Amino acid sequence: MCGMCGVFLGESNWSDTTVTSVTGGGRTRRHERLHRVALTNRILKHCALKVSDWNGVSYVLSSATGQTAIVDSIAAVWPVAEQLRKRPIDPLDERLIAALERG
Amino acid sequence: MTSQASAHTPVNLVTGFLGSGKTTLLQRLLRSPQMSRTAVLINELGEVGLDHLLVQQVDEPVVLLESGCICCTIRSDLSSALRDLLGRRERGEIPAFNRVVIETTGLADPGPILYTLLSERVIQHHFRLGNVIATVDAVNAALHLADNPEGIKQVAAADRLLITKTDLAEPAQVAAVRQVLAQINPSAEVWDALQDPWDADALLEVRPAARSVMPELTRFTAATEDGASAAAQPYVKALRRHSEQVASFSLVLEQPLDWTAFGIWLSMLLNRYGNDVLRVKGILQVQGSDAPVFINAVQHIVHPPQHLERWPSQDQRSRIVFITRGMDHARLRRSLEAFCGARVAELSVA
Repeated sequence: MCGMCGVFLGESNWSDTTVTSVTGGGRTRRHERLHRVALTNRILKHCALKVSDWNGVSYVLSSATGQTAIVDSIAAVWPVAEQLRKRPIDPLDERLIAALERG
Repeated sequence: MTSQASAHTPVNLVTGFLGSGKTTLLQRLLRSPQMSRTAVLINELGEVGLDHLLVQQVDEPVVLLESGCICCTIRSDLSSALRDLLGRRERGEIPAFNRVVIETTGLADPGPILYTLLSERVIQHHFRLGNVIATVDAVNAALHLADNPEGIKQVAAADRLLITKTDLAEPAQVAAVRQVLAQINPSAEVWDALQDPWDADALLEVRPAARSVMPELTRFTAATEDGASAAAQPYVKALRRHSEQVASFSLVLEQPLDWTAFGIWLSMLLNRYGNDVLRVKGILQVQGSDAPVFINAVQHIVHPPQHLERWPSQDQRSRIVFITRGMDHARLRRSLEAFCGARVAELSVA
């Protein structure tokens, strides 16, 4: 059995798939999930939002004012984040791009 | 996964504007011996009786969808129809079909249909999406592409584009249609239904993704720079006038990218611009994996990423083709660069 493909089958949404194998130098599923959370927070901090892992199965999205929402995948983060923020979250926004370029 | 995937029944979509020859294509396909065990899903709109009878004549199991259009409103109908076919096959009530073909209405947006096929759990476990085939009428291509956003979406979503009624059009007109289709969707193979030697196998074959990504990138240049003859240019202009907002471009990444960062970027992009990002197709060099990863998305719908066995050539850079409508691709390129922390170059612009 292909270990990599086994990982594909283990996730329900494409945005939560892992395409590397541990034997090939990739992360474990748990590490991958934490990495995903860290990278997503790198974006969300510009929107005053934060995401955290919930038991390895869902994500909890929270705002600075205490609003929270549970989402199943990273792809599901964005529409919910826009609802919490009450504004669009645009990956082509010049200010966001400039902020990410600054690091 | 390989054996499981091969056990899944392929589902093909035949789409195309009203009167562009979908049913004629279907008739021809169903006459092929390799299509003898095919179940056909058609829908009822306008000349439905005719469509229905024509398909029935080939004596295939047919399920007539109740609603007029396989759009988002009928998604549950499509799901029910597929489940019904499955149940009847399991109970031995109908011949054991090994393929399903869905003929959409001419006005259908293929997105919701693909979404249904890729997201419904029961369907996911028994069916797999095969090629999307779109027919384009050579004489009326301008009408198809004008005043009809679905026409553009159908072309963008296709894996194979078949230009029909080429015997009724000027050669220059056919050449122009071919050029414009290649510009709109360089990731699809474009065939003349009457002149090119295609058959059911060629039309339905899901090529190893690696092979399907490579030619499209070379076709970019051919389609945009060489183009059709001078005689075809007036037709090209007329066709492009109706689709000038639609552009194809290709991005190349020199370094292996972080799949997670890419996934975050793409999911965010499709959330905000899913209606304008008509297609994303690419082969990625991913950190932590020797095997390339193939990605394919139609509007908001992303196919599960696939590992390919090997790179199609010595060139192991990530290459992604985008078909977008009215989007600033320089900014899209910068955004991808910023999100993935990798240098991204634009290969060509159509």
